[in-house]
Amino acid sequence: MNAVLEIEDLRIGFGPLEAVRGIDLVVERGQTHCLVGESGCGKSVSALSVLRLLPKRARFSAARLAFEGNDIAGLGERGMARLRGDRMAMIFQEPMTSLNPAYTIGSQMIEVLRRHRGASRAAAVDRCIAMLERVGVTAPAMRLGQFPHQLSGGLRQRVMIATALLCEPALLIADEPTTALDVTVQAQFLRLLADIQRQMGLAVLLITHDLGVVARVADRVSVMYAGRIVEHGATGAVFAAPRHPYTRGLLASIPVPGKIPPGGRLGSIPGIVPRIGAGFAGCAFRARCAVAMPACAAPVPEHRLADGHRFACHLGPDGAWSGA
Amino acid sequence: MVGGMNHVIEAIGLSQVFRQRQGLFASARQVMAVDDLSFRVAEGSALGIVGESGCGKSTLARMLLGLLPASAGTLRIGGADLRGMDRRARARLIQPVFQDPMSSLNPRRRIGATIALPLRVQGTGRAECRRAVARMLEEVGLAPEIAARFPNQLSGGQRQRVAIARALIVNPRILICDEPTSALDVSVQAQILNLLMDLRARFKLTLVFISHNLAVVEHIADEVAVMYLGRFVEHSANAEIFAAPRHPYTRALLASVLTPEPGLGLPEMPLGEGSPDPTNIPPGCRFHPRCPLATELCRNQAPPRGAVECHFAASGAGA
Ligand SMILES: Nc1ncnc2c1ncn2[C@@H]1O[C@H](COP(=O)(O)OP(=O)(O)OP(=O)(O)O)[C@@H](O)[C@H]1O
Ligand SMILES: Nc1ncnc2c1ncn2[C@@H]1O[C@H](COP(=O)(O)OP(=O)(O)OP(=O)(O)O)[C@@H](O)[C@H]1O
Ligand SMILES: [Mg+2]
Ligand SMILES: [Mg+2]
Repeated sequence: MNAVLEIEDLRIGFGPLEAVRGIDLVVERGQTHCLVGESGCGKSVSALSVLRLLPKRARFSAARLAFEGNDIAGLGERGMARLRGDRMAMIFQEPMTSLNPAYTIGSQMIEVLRRHRGASRAAAVDRCIAMLERVGVTAPAMRLGQFPHQLSGGLRQRVMIATALLCEPALLIADEPTTALDVTVQAQFLRLLADIQRQMGLAVLLITHDLGVVARVADRVSVMYAGRIVEHGATGAVFAAPRHPYTRGLLASIPVPGKIPPGGRLGSIPGIVPRIGAGFAGCAFRARCAVAMPACAAPVPEHRLADGHRFACHLGPDGAWSGA
Repeated sequence: MVGGMNHVIEAIGLSQVFRQRQGLFASARQVMAVDDLSFRVAEGSALGIVGESGCGKSTLARMLLGLLPASAGTLRIGGADLRGMDRRARARLIQPVFQDPMSSLNPRRRIGATIALPLRVQGTGRAECRRAVARMLEEVGLAPEIAARFPNQLSGGQRQRVAIARALIVNPRILICDEPTSALDVSVQAQILNLLMDLRARFKLTLVFISHNLAVVEHIADEVAVMYLGRFVEHSANAEIFAAPRHPYTRALLASVLTPEPGLGLPEMPLGEGSPDPTNIPPGCRFHPRCPLATELCRNQAPPRGAVECHFAASGAGA
């Protein structure tokens, strides 16, 4: 069994809002699984729920939530606290949200090792320096004495990933880790992540808006829309032959030099994502879908193709009405 | 550039120096954010500006908008010196669209009032403003009832449309867009880019378009300036820059772009890791510490000024 994270029928709600409406997702050892989709579709809350970091007022349920084969849905807060930052790590879009501006890089990194590993101070310092070196931070010993604001954006990003990897986690969840970076720094960061992944067999769940990033680093991709995964598959298969109209719309909306002439019109998806409450039925994309029919108000069938490629649409794999 | 063309933006020797205090007792250091820039933008064209974080793009945008007086140099907008221009005249000529529509819209002001504000400042009456707002909402593809809402009741894409409507209501000749789509997801980004292209054709707008996203710049710009530590190290026509980049930094930027093509993996990039420090601009060519082609010449002597500021631009070394 190579699955590091297994999620079945995950549901999350806030008051009247059904934010996540039954998603299934597996991340395997050494693999990168990308989660994409329009703003507000539920990517971040799904990730937070795995680490049990949802706000208290959120409703949360899952048929199965397993980490390294063990059920963690029933694990208490103490058990989760032991996992977080140890076997499971998370990095966020803006490094300043996970680095405390009041403490030096060193005290924050050392604290992680002392909490999870009970390491001595001297051993912790050595390990921190080694990890900073490994992620390509120059003058690592000096960095331990610096505060977050004294580092450039690219260095902060490296410190954050070094901290996340200190305890050699099995799973890394990264939520928009490169959105704030310029292209050269982004490429450096992703290469670093790929190297570490290869060395440690790390499973990565990567949330991003950037379909260029997805194409280049993801093994599997899940496309989310209004709280559901509407399409999932191997990255090459999904990009080569997207089946769901929303996936097609997304891929048509990015400017690809050479495909769309400069100044030509980009494909775009009219309208906005609906907010979905209890009792909503049918396909959530139908109000914006160019091929929608009255029958799209009925429950949506899921189609399965080769190699785990699946999509949820009233139109079947052959593009014909599948008559649910 | 073709002679006789009307240039609505002319910058001559434009510089911006900030003083930055490093610590309580340290003496202030000078940040050379924009360094002796000269360039022109032809009426109706779109200039794209790309470059590393912190290279001075937003500083230049604020100078163009007259929000930040130049430390040195001259800036002529629509043929007149920006320095002597009064605020209202300036606002009729040039308007901004910023990255984060949420922080650039007043949360307590209704959308209609927000869009009308630049007109009100010009002294336009209420009834005329209301009509203009209705017209602008339609231009940017928003429903009329949006005028009564507050910013937090709109989506990110809707808010960016509002910011564009507000910028266009005084019928300016120039729009300065600083990362206008960076906070939006790709499908909304496409809507906004299509809208900008439409409006540009319709109103003969001149655009200055700043972005980290090179594919977006390639899509929208006629000319592209690549900025590095306060200077345009390469400034050419869109097709030239993307087809045959000549500065090593431009090549590194283009090599880093992740096109949506699965299976290509991540690019190898010959750039050194160090990030540039605007308080301490290297002698010689400012790019030499990170340049894979740097020689003794580059370490000692600044490259000649021109469309491509590289000692080896003409010989095409390393291309
Ligand atoms: N604490 C909360 N209280 C109420 N609603 C919330 C809360 N957190 C998230 N939501 C709602 O849940 C939905 C999913 O939010 P989420 O942050 O997961 O979106 P996302 O897919 O990560 O979007 P983005 O791409 O903009 O980051 C949204 O409608 C959001 O408004
Ligand atoms: N008011 C200020 N005082 C001191 N330094 C400043 C000020 N504004 C900008 N700077 C400095 O000037 C340089 C250029 O900043 P600017 O915001 O123009 O960069 P940018 O190219 O827009 O970067 P990004 O892509 O990250 O937005 C930076 O080193 C910045 O720290
Ligand atoms: Mg999110
Ligand atoms: Mg900026």
